[in-house]
Amino acid sequence: MASAKETYRTELRAAARQLGERCLYSAAKWAAELLVGVDLDTSPAPSSAMDSPSSSSAVSAGRLLHLHRSGGSSFRHRFRPGGASSSEAGTPLGGVSYVSTPIPDDDSFDSGGDKYLLAKTYFDCREYRRAAHVLQNQVGRKAVFLRCYALYMAGEKRKEAEMIEMEGSLGKSNAVNQELVALERELSTHRRTGSIDSFGLYLYGLVLRDKGCEDLARTILVESVNSYPWNWSAWSELQSLCTSSDVLNNLNLKNHWMKDFFLASTYLELKMHEEALKRYERLMGIFRSSGYIQAQIATVQYSMRDLDEAEMIFEELLRTDPFRVDSMDIYSNLLYAKESLTALSFLAHRVFLTDKYRPESCCIIANYYSLKGQHEKSVLYFQRALKLNRKYLSAWTLMGHEYVELKNTPAAIDAYRRAVDINPKDYRAWYGLGQIYEMMGMPFYALYYFRKSSYLQPNDARLWIAMAQCYESDPLQMIEEAIKCYERAANSNDTEGIALHQLAKLHDVLGQSEEAAYYYKKDLERMEAEERQGQNFVEALLFLAKHYKNIGNFEEAGHYCTRLLDYTGPEKETAKNMLQGIKRLQSGFPSMDIDHFAL
Amino acid sequence: MSLFAGVGGGAAAGDPASAGGTGRALLELTPHKLAVCHLVQVFAPPAQAGGDVVPPFPFESVAHHNRLGLFLFTLTRSCDDFREPSLEELLRQLKAVDDLTNGWLCEQLTSTLSVLISPDDLFNFFDKLRGVLTAPEGAGAEDILLDPNSQLGVFLRCCILAFNSMTFEGICHLLADLVMYCNSTDASYDLAEDEDFDTEMSNLMDADISSQADIYQKYRQGRESESHMGESSSALTRAPMILHDFDEANTFKVDEDNPTSLRSRWQLEAYLNQQADLLEKDPSSVPLNSFNATMTQLQTLAPELHRVQFLQYLNALCHDDYVASLDNLHRYFDYSSGMQGLFGRSVSAVQDVIVGKYEGALLCLGNLHCHFGHPKKALEAFSEAVRVSQMNNDDSCLAYVLGAISNLLAKIGMSNTVGIVSSPYSLGTNIGLGTPLSIQQQLLVLLKRSLKRADLLKLPSLLAFDHLSLAKFDLKNVQRPLVSFGPNASTKLRTCPADVCKNLRLSSRVLTDFGTDALSTSSENGSFSTSWLRNLATASDSRRSSSMKSTKLHNDFDNFHYLAQPSPVPSPVLQLAGSSYLLRATAWEHYGSAPMVRMNALVYATCFADAASSSELSLAYVKLIQQLAVFKGYSAAFCALKLAERKFPSSTSSHIQLLRMQILHERALHRGHLKVAQQICDEFGVLSSSVCGVDIELKTEASIRRARTLLAAKQFSQAAAVANSLFSTCYKYNMQVENASVLLLLAEIHKKSDNAVLGLPYALASQSFCKSFNLDLLGASATLTLAELWLALGSSHAKRALSLVYQSLPMILGHGGLELRARAHIVLAKCHLSDPKFSVAEDPEAVLDPLNQATEDLRVLEHHEMAAEAYYLKAIAYNHLGKLDEREEAAACFMEHITALENPRKEEDSLAY
Repeated sequence: MASAKETYRTELRAAARQLGERCLYSAAKWAAELLVGVDLDTSPAPSSAMDSPSSSSAVSAGRLLHLHRSGGSSFRHRFRPGGASSSEAGTPLGGVSYVSTPIPDDDSFDSGGDKYLLAKTYFDCREYRRAAHVLQNQVGRKAVFLRCYALYMAGEKRKEAEMIEMEGSLGKSNAVNQELVALERELSTHRRTGSIDSFGLYLYGLVLRDKGCEDLARTILVESVNSYPWNWSAWSELQSLCTSSDVLNNLNLKNHWMKDFFLASTYLELKMHEEALKRYERLMGIFRSSGYIQAQIATVQYSMRDLDEAEMIFEELLRTDPFRVDSMDIYSNLLYAKESLTALSFLAHRVFLTDKYRPESCCIIANYYSLKGQHEKSVLYFQRALKLNRKYLSAWTLMGHEYVELKNTPAAIDAYRRAVDINPKDYRAWYGLGQIYEMMGMPFYALYYFRKSSYLQPNDARLWIAMAQCYESDPLQMIEEAIKCYERAANSNDTEGIALHQLAKLHDVLGQSEEAAYYYKKDLERMEAEERQGQNFVEALLFLAKHYKNIGNFEEAGHYCTRLLDYTGPEKETAKNMLQGIKRLQSGFPSMDIDHFAL
Repeated sequence: MSLFAGVGGGAAAGDPASAGGTGRALLELTPHKLAVCHLVQVFAPPAQAGGDVVPPFPFESVAHHNRLGLFLFTLTRSCDDFREPSLEELLRQLKAVDDLTNGWLCEQLTSTLSVLISPDDLFNFFDKLRGVLTAPEGAGAEDILLDPNSQLGVFLRCCILAFNSMTFEGICHLLADLVMYCNSTDASYDLAEDEDFDTEMSNLMDADISSQADIYQKYRQGRESESHMGESSSALTRAPMILHDFDEANTFKVDEDNPTSLRSRWQLEAYLNQQADLLEKDPSSVPLNSFNATMTQLQTLAPELHRVQFLQYLNALCHDDYVASLDNLHRYFDYSSGMQGLFGRSVSAVQDVIVGKYEGALLCLGNLHCHFGHPKKALEAFSEAVRVSQMNNDDSCLAYVLGAISNLLAKIGMSNTVGIVSSPYSLGTNIGLGTPLSIQQQLLVLLKRSLKRADLLKLPSLLAFDHLSLAKFDLKNVQRPLVSFGPNASTKLRTCPADVCKNLRLSSRVLTDFGTDALSTSSENGSFSTSWLRNLATASDSRRSSSMKSTKLHNDFDNFHYLAQPSPVPSPVLQLAGSSYLLRATAWEHYGSAPMVRMNALVYATCFADAASSSELSLAYVKLIQQLAVFKGYSAAFCALKLAERKFPSSTSSHIQLLRMQILHERALHRGHLKVAQQICDEFGVLSSSVCGVDIELKTEASIRRARTLLAAKQFSQAAAVANSLFSTCYKYNMQVENASVLLLLAEIHKKSDNAVLGLPYALASQSFCKSFNLDLLGASATLTLAELWLALGSSHAKRALSLVYQSLPMILGHGGLELRARAHIVLAKCHLSDPKFSVAEDPEAVLDPLNQATEDLRVLEHHEMAAEAYYLKAIAYNHLGKLDEREEAAACFMEHITALENPRKEEDSLAY
C-alpha cells in the first residue's frame, strides 16, 4: 500500500515539475494538488518544494459540472492546459491492474537551455509572442512545444481582444485564433515525422478542436494521454469531446490510474451519477485529502439531490481550503436550495474578497441577491459572470430564472435559449422555457419544450408532471395524453405524489372508476407510508368509500367511512350519512327482496 | 431618409438581454464602403470656389455623369448577397459605367485605396469627404453637387459619422481589411478579364455541339476562367446551379476573404426577404443543404440577426424536414421574441407587417402542422394563437389566424368538428348560437370575422386573401342563413355566382390599395436596385443573359422587352392579385365556360409568372393543357405537356405529374387499353396520403377514375360499388360539387348496364345538383345522359329525348369538349333514327351532319368505342338512303374501331407520349 502510494507520489511530483516547466500551469496545479492529497499517514512528505499545500484554488481548469438548483451545466475555461499526476501499478482500485507508464525523462536540456529559460520567463510574464520569438530556430522538442504553445496563447489573447473590438450592431463577428492554421501545419508535420512528444500532441489536439475537427482531435488527445497520462488538461479536453457514452466507450485508452479520474468526471458530465460516485469514492481511498475529489463528490451528491451530505463536504472543504473558489458556485446553489441565507452571504463575502473577477464569484453573489429577493441586482451579477465567461451555462439558466421573477419574459426566454444553444442537453433550461410559455398561457407551445426536456431526462417525474399539466390545462383538455404522462411520472419515483393523485382524479373524470380507485388506493398507501395527511388524503378516502359503496362492496366502503370519521369538516358528515346508508342497505336488502316477492 | 429607417429601427430593436445599444454605429465601415465613398466623391467633387464646369472633370456628358450616380445609388441598395462585393467585382461593374473614360475611374479607385496605409491617411480621406457635403466659405449653396439629404448624401454622412465614432482599434481593423480588400484583386485585372471574356465567347460558340468531351473541355475552361474571375462563369455546364452560383462562390471565398464585410443591416434584411420570396416561389430551386450552409455562415457573421433562423425554418419547411423546421421555428421565436416581425418586410412600425409576439409563433406553428398534414395539431396551435392574441390585444395577428384557420378548414376534410374544436374556447361556438355548427358554417363565420377585422385594421393583403377564400367558399357551398326563423325564411338553395364574382373583383383591389396603404413602404426591398445591377452586368457581358433565361421563371412578357425592369408592384401583392385570376379560371371551369378558363389561365401565365410560386404557375399550365386535351386532342396536349415538363420537372411539381397521369388515363380509356388504365389508377391511389381527411381531392379523383376504368371493363357492379362508396365519402365531407359528377357517373353506369330505369333518378339528381351549384356544362351533360336513358327506354320516348338534347345543345356546342360534342351529335342522330316518325330519306342531313361531325371529333380523340357507334349509325343511315358504297365504307370503319377496341394492340404505347 505504502509503496503504491509512494509511486503515485513520485509520479505526481515529476509530472508537476514537467508540466510546470512547460508552462502548463493548471495541469501542474492539478497534479501538485493531488500530490498533496495522497494519504498522508504513511510518509510525512519529504521531497521537493513542490508540495507545499497549494493555497488559493484547487482543481484544474477542466470541466466541472455545475448542477444547480435548476440548471445542470458545465463550463470550461477557454484555454490553459492543466496538470497531470503520475504513478504506476499500485493498488488496483477496481481489482484491475493498471498499466504502468514510465515517466519520461526529459530534464536534459537541449542545447538552447538558456534561451528556453528566457522564453519561459517571458511566458510567465505573459509576453507570449516574445517567448515564441526567442525560441525561433530551436529544434528540441521542449523548445518546439513551448514556442507553439506560446504562439497559440498569443493567438488566443489576440482573439479575445478582437472579440471585444469587433462587436457590431449585428452581434459579435467570429474572431478566430489567427495562429491556428500555421500551428496545425507545423504540428501535423512533426507528428508525421514522429518528432512530437505527448505535450505537443496535446497542443495539436487543442488546435484541432478549435478548428472544428473533433474526431481527429479526439484521436490525438487519446494518443497524448496514453503516452503521458498525468496531463489533466488533456484529459479534460478529451472529456469535453465526449458528448455521449457511446463516444466514451469507443475511446481506446490505456488503463492507467488517471483514467479513473477521467471516467469519473465524464460520468458526472454525462449525468451517470451512480457510476461517478462509485469511482470517486474508490479514488478517495488513496487520495484521501484531495480537495478536488471532495468537491467532485459533493457535486455528484448535489446532483443526486443529497443536499445535506453535499453541504457537509463543502463545509469541510472550505475549512481546509478557505480561499477556494472552484466549485463554490455549486455550494452556493446548494445553499440557495436550502435557503440558508447566512451561510450564503458568508460565502459570497469570502469569495468576493478572494477574487471578485471570477465567474464563480459573480454567480455566488447573484445567488445571494436572488435569495434576498433582489432580482435586479442578481441579474446584474449574472451578467457580469457571463461577461467573464460567455459559455457559463448555469449562469444563463439562472439568469433566466431571475428574469422570470422580474416578469421579463422575453429576456428570460432569450437567456434560457442561449443556455440551450450552448448545451442542447441542458434539460433544465428546456424545462424553464416550457414553464415560461405555460405561464404565458401557451400550453400547446410549451409542450414542445417539455417534450425536449423529458426526452433528455426521462426519469425525472417533475418533467412528466409539467407536461401532464399542460395537457390537462383548460384550453387543451387532452386528458388521455395527460394520463399517459402522469403514469410515466408515477413510475419514475414522484416524490411529491402529485402524479398518483392526478391519475386518480383524471380517471374519475373519464368515468373509469376502477382505475381511479386503484390509483386512489396507491396514493393512500403512499401517504400512509410517508405519514402525510391532508386534503388529498380525505379526498381519496371519500372517493374510495363512495366507489366501494357503488359497486356493492359494503365492507370496504364501511372501512373507509370509519377512517373518514377521524377528520373534521363536511366529509365527516358525509361519511356518517354514508355509514348509515350502508347499514340500511345491508339490513335492508333482504327486506327489499321480500317486498319484491310480495308484489 | 427611408434608406436608413430600417437600420436605425433594427439597432433599437436589439437583443433584450444584451447590455443595450451603447456605441453602436449606424453602419459599420468596410473597405467596400470606403470605395463607394470615394466614388461618391468623384461623382460630386468638393465644390471649388469659382466657376464649376458641369459635368465635372472625367465625365463627358450629363448622361454619363448620371449613370455613375445611378450606379452608386444601386450599390447602396442592392441586395443580391449578404456580403459585400469584392473589389474585383466592383471594378467589373464599374467598368460598365466607365467605358467612356477608358478605365480612368477604376484606376483612380484602386490607386486611391491602395495609398491608404496609415490611420492618418484615413483621417485625411474622411476630411476630404466632408468637403463634398459642405460648401466652402463664400460659395453659394447651389455650388454643392450633393444634397446632404439625398440617398448618397445620407450614406456619406453615415460613413463619416461611423468613422468619427470609431475607436482606434476599429481603425486598425479597417486598415487591415483594406489591405486584404485591395490585395484580393489582381493588379492586372482588366487584362485577365478580357482574356476570360474571349474564352467564354468561344465556349458559347461551340455550345451547340454537345458531345461529352466537349462539355468536359468546356468545364475545364470554365474552371480556369473561374480561378481568374472568382465569379462562376462556367454557366453552361452547371445550368441548374446558376441561381446559386453566388452562394457557391461565397463558400469558396469565405476562407481567404475578410469575414467581416457584411452589408448594411437594411441590405441584409432585404437579402433575406428576397431569399424568402425565392423559397416560397420555387423551393425546388433552392438546395436544402447549400442554402443552410449559406445561412449558417451568415449567422456566424451576424449572430444577433435572428431572421436568419426564420429563413432556415422556411427552408426546412419547403424541403419537408419536420424536425429541423420545428427546431428552427422555436429557436427563432425564442431569440427574437417575435419582435423582429413575422413577415418582416421592414422593421418600421407598420401595422400590417408586424404581427405580435409569441402569438406569431403559434401562427407559424399552426401553419407548419398544416403544411405537414397534422390538422388536429394545427387547430390546437391556431386556437391557442387566437387565445393569446386576444389576451394581448393583437388584432392583426388574430385576423391572420382566423384566415389561417379558414384556410385549414377549407383544405382539410373533416366530417364534423366534434373532438377537434371541442374546447370551451372553441372557435365556432362563441358567436352565441346554441346549436353546433357544421364545419362549413364555422368556416363561413370565421371567414366573415376575419374579413371584417382585416377591413377594420386596413390589412389589404389579408383582405384580398379573405375575399379569395370567400369566393372559393361560395363556389362550392350553398350559403344558408345560419338561423332561419319560421317558415317565412326564404331558403334559396343555390350557389351564387354573383357573390363569387364580387369577391374575386374585391380581392383584386389589393392591386390598387397597396399604393396608398401600408404595403407600399414594405415594397422597398431593393430588388429594383439588384436587378439594375444585374442588367448592368447583362449589358456589359452577354454571357449571362443566355444562362439566366432558361432557368428563371419569367413573365413571358419579359421576353419581348429586352432588359425589362421588374414590376414596381411588390411580389406578394402581385401574387395575391394573380391568384384571383387563377381562381377565376377555376370558377369558370366549374360553371363550364371553356374560353373564360383559357383566358384567365393565360392572363395568369403571362402577367403574373414573375411573382407566382412554381406550384401555382404550374397549375395555370395544367389548366391550359387540360383544355388542350379536351378541345384539341391528345397529341396537342402531350406536345404542350412536354414543354411544361421541361419547365417544371415532374419530380418537383405534383400538378404536372397529376396532369400527365390524367391525360394518359383518359387516352388509355378511349383507346380501350384497360390494363394501362388500371395501372395508372393504381398509381393515382398511391399518390395520396393515407391519413384520413388529408388529400381529399386527390382521393376523390382516384376513386372516380377507378370507377370509370371498371365501367370501361364492363364490371358494372364493382364500378357501382366504388361510385356508391365515393358518394358516401363525399357526402360525409360535404363535397356537393363532387357529388354531382359522382351521381352522373352512377347514371352512366346504370345506362351502360342496360338499367335505364335505375339510372334515371341518378341522372335527375345529378341534374338538380348541377342546377343548385350552377354547374352548367356538367348539367348539360347530365341532360344528355338523361336523354340517352329515355332513349334506352324505347323508341316511344324518342321525342322527349330529342327535346332534351336540343335543350342541352347550345351549352355543349358552345363550351363542351370534343368528346361531349361527339356524344351529343351521336345522341341526336340516334334520336332521329329511332323516332318512328322520322325518315332518313326526307332529311338525310339531320342525321349525317352530326354523325360526320362526331366521327371527325372522335378521330382526334382516338375514342374507339364511340367512334364505332358513330360509324354504325352512319352505316344504318346510308343503308336507309340506299347508298351502298358509303354504307360499306362506314361499316368497314366500324369494323376497324371495334377490332381496335376488342383486341388492343401495343398497349404499352399508351404509357408513352
